[in-house]
Amino acid sequence: MFGLESWQTLLVDWRIFAQGLAQTVLASVLGLALALALGVVMGVLGVVPVRPLRWLNRFYVEFFQNTPLLTQVFFYYYGLPRLGLRLPVLAVGVMGLGIYTGAYIAEIIRAGILSVHRGQLEAAFSQGFRYEEAMRYIILPQAFRVIMPPLTNQFVNLIKNSSILSFIAGYDLMYHADVWSSYNLLYGVAYVTIAALYLCLTLPTATLARRLERRMQATWGGSVS
Amino acid sequence: MEVGPLIEFRRVNKFFGSNHVLRDIDLTIPTNQKLVIIGPSGSGKSTLIRCINQLERVSSGQVLVDGVDVTAPGARLAEVRQDIGMVFQLFNLYPHKTVLENVTLAPEKVRGVPPEQAAETARYYLKRVGMLHKVNAYPAQLSGGQQQRVAIARALAMKPRFMLFDEPTSALDPEMIGEVLDVMTGLAHEGMTMVVVTHEIGFARQVADRILFLDNGEIAEDGPPAQVLDSPTNERTKSFLSKVLH
Repeated sequence: MFGLESWQTLLVDWRIFAQGLAQTVLASVLGLALALALGVVMGVLGVVPVRPLRWLNRFYVEFFQNTPLLTQVFFYYYGLPRLGLRLPVLAVGVMGLGIYTGAYIAEIIRAGILSVHRGQLEAAFSQGFRYEEAMRYIILPQAFRVIMPPLTNQFVNLIKNSSILSFIAGYDLMYHADVWSSYNLLYGVAYVTIAALYLCLTLPTATLARRLERRMQATWGGSVS
Repeated sequence: MEVGPLIEFRRVNKFFGSNHVLRDIDLTIPTNQKLVIIGPSGSGKSTLIRCINQLERVSSGQVLVDGVDVTAPGARLAEVRQDIGMVFQLFNLYPHKTVLENVTLAPEKVRGVPPEQAAETARYYLKRVGMLHKVNAYPAQLSGGQQQRVAIARALAMKPRFMLFDEPTSALDPEMIGEVLDVMTGLAHEGMTMVVVTHEIGFARQVADRILFLDNGEIAEDGPPAQVLDSPTNERTKSFLSKVLH
């Protein structure tokens, strides 16, 4: 199953796997952008002094965290066309990954904001900053320091979760591995290969984030009162 | 020309739950006054000063700043607060910004001052508080006294109409209290209107032209330092002063 011939067969078709990798990267990057945007907005809504907006945050977080990602993606793929909205497969994948991961990021952002000392908001208000300005210039930059480690986990999760695109013929790594291996009846090499390729994406992401985090710690110095 | 009061409290009450923190406070503070508020902890001093810039909303009554009712619904608080400098017990410097950035941030983002001009103004005030040598440091690298002096420069850089000090030396080690009080004394001598909540009776005697003694949410004593500190009429004032003056 892992014989030299199997690897040779795979190597001949390397383009297929390269295409899958490219698609996975594309879906992950776009999904990440959507997840971050949704996460920041929804996370901030979780702390604003306007109750209906906080409800919106709770609904979003609870609903999308507590239903399976695959169910959500199948709804966008099979359900939305019935409602007259037919999206390209990549868009469905990005939407699924972005909305689902955004719910986790929203909760991380909310907790990060709440971890910033209350005096910071008061100092900002006392200088005439409006709520949204205080968030932008003073609270969120500090929250991000606490947020970085759990946020990295979400980035890594999103990259791995992008494999659900294979269920809707998303031409990602997982999809190509499925198709190629069932055609060639060579399962072992295909999945070992894509596991290695996923690692090539996730490990640098985690390392980069850790380095960024260390640099932030270093410049701000020690304790924050 | 008749000048109206700068700050005015009209029958202000404040509750925290069932706790009645301020009771029917009537208070008028004219421009240029150096008002020091003393009193036991829990007497409502901090709540009172925080009502002036509405970090604390009142439960009833009105607070007027320069004739503007800041307690009215829809009051433009952000605009009013630009002109009120505040210094906090825990400094509340922005830890992710350098000393210089701490002082330039609000002038640039709130007032729209060009960066070079904001930096120039910041250096001027940092020099005044003796912190010019630390412009590139982060707050965590400074002592408490240094942080508080930067906080004063940060407030002054907005060119406020008056300054609020909420127990500015209470979180400082004893050897750092002097450097902060010196800066505040200098500011007072230049004619800045100041409202100061403090336990530093020596500072109050030296700088204040009026002292309020707050007790259980009420103004128990109100007058010049000599009167309030040396011949108080109220029993609670006497007992409080005997404790803090030893």
